[in-house]
Amino acid sequence: MSDPLREFIGASPAVQRPALRALVGLGRRPRGAALLKRIAPADQVATGLLAMARYDDPARAKQLGWDAEAVIARGRELRRREGRP
Amino acid sequence: MIEADVCVVGAGAGGAVVAAELAEGGANVVLLEQGPAHNPDSFTARPPQMLARLYRDGGQTVTFGTPPIGLPLGRGLGGTTMVNSGTCFRTPPRVLERWQGEFGLELSEASMRPHFERVERALSVSEVTPELAGNNASVARRGAERLGWSHGYLRRNAKGCVGSGVCAFGCPTSAKQHTGITYIPRAERAGARILTGVDVKRVLVKGGRATGVDGGEVEVRAPTVVLAAGAVHTPLLLRSSGIDSNELGRNLTVHPATAAFALMDEIVDMARGVPQSFFVDEFASDGIMLEGVAGPPSYAAIALPLSGRRHQEAMSRYRHLAQFGLMVSDKPRGRIHSVAGRPVIRYDLDPRDLKRFRVGIRRLGELFEAAGALEVYLPLPSGVAPERARALDLKLIGFHPLGSARADARASHGVVDSNLAVHGVDGLHVADGSVVPSALGVNPQLTIMALATRLAFKLLGASAP
Repeated sequence: MSDPLREFIGASPAVQRPALRALVGLGRRPRGAALLKRIAPADQVATGLLAMARYDDPARAKQLGWDAEAVIARGRELRRREGRP
Repeated sequence: MIEADVCVVGAGAGGAVVAAELAEGGANVVLLEQGPAHNPDSFTARPPQMLARLYRDGGQTVTFGTPPIGLPLGRGLGGTTMVNSGTCFRTPPRVLERWQGEFGLELSEASMRPHFERVERALSVSEVTPELAGNNASVARRGAERLGWSHGYLRRNAKGCVGSGVCAFGCPTSAKQHTGITYIPRAERAGARILTGVDVKRVLVKGGRATGVDGGEVEVRAPTVVLAAGAVHTPLLLRSSGIDSNELGRNLTVHPATAAFALMDEIVDMARGVPQSFFVDEFASDGIMLEGVAGPPSYAAIALPLSGRRHQEAMSRYRHLAQFGLMVSDKPRGRIHSVAGRPVIRYDLDPRDLKRFRVGIRRLGELFEAAGALEVYLPLPSGVAPERARALDLKLIGFHPLGSARADARASHGVVDSNLAVHGVDGLHVADGSVVPSALGVNPQLTIMALATRLAFKLLGASAP
């Protein structure tokens, strides 16, 4: 599990956390994913979380035209130069 | 123990405004916030991380009911104003008229005008320019123009915005004028004490009047207490403080929303520009508002209503994807309970609101088709047409919880009165979305801030300059 996804799930309400971890674990394995296909709401959660993590990867995001580091660097520079909070 | 004239609980749209206005008016103010003060240097523009850090429960608060609805809430100095889209609407006049007639509230358009004007000055509210709005807005504008639908660019509380595209994940340029960088510094400069990380347990009430706040390790003695913990948590605080009202925790509206995607021939780069910059209000009188929404690939990936290979194919063309949302002005179907001290929210979509979603989703499809979309991805399961959608077919998020301690001149019908004072308890007021007595049909931050401004000047015994 990627660090951002781990952090995201770690911030969820305690009662939801074990279920989210289990769903992601299942969704990453072929047999687990096949099992999830039978339960649409669970499948939606698992595939949604895995998709979010997949496209959060900086290299993959850059291929799609999104460079989070550049956005942050521009923000820092603007705040520094203009004395923004 | 801390002593003050006024103790404010919560540093979001309502609490920060009340604290600043009261402190500048000469009151000795203590502001207690459960969350932290966020440092923009720690922002990463990566949605999973920023949801975890800036939102309550990582933005994963969910209602129980049909359908389950995500209810993302900001946490920390600035509250949800720190992570919202910055959209600023005044309360629609028809809504204020309804509040006067149905709830007996003394809130006319004329009496609220100075409060709105004061807030708008404080937040540098202005209309987004077409250049800053970006290509995602251009797609929607083209569709609306071809269909002859009423539309426009939104007014926002931003100054020096460069269209970073991550309003909901922490503004990297501090362009968004959220209350954490506007009203909170003003309050501090005027002498207010701001304490973060304080988990308020209850309001202290003795002999029918508020005497302070129990914040665990922090106890504040104050003859005036203003609760502004938000529409989900304020009812719990009132209940734990012994406030007994049949209306407490009821009448919750969430302004449920969904969004469609479209594959365009042109490059859209939806996250370049202001994500929520454009609106279509052609159907506003029917309770349906269309507004822009967009984000980085990881955000789009979780929102895109496709699966498997189709999802991968669409995401491989992310730069050509456009997105637009719809919000429904809903009936008050929600109720907030407390289980082991945590809120449990029950909300079932009203059948009339389901019909609005069916119409609204169809309209989103028409908007994109008119704009020249190659494909449209409606937020419904494969094979389900909008007119056949059931509540469980909808993927909804509620961005604007309101009404759970609603204002009504009559104690039997509301929790607070026209002056936002809790019925039956002297010195206890509420200044957040929970007092808003009905759905607004538009984004609520300006309404909450204007009501908070009005409350502050009532408490000071002065009129808003």
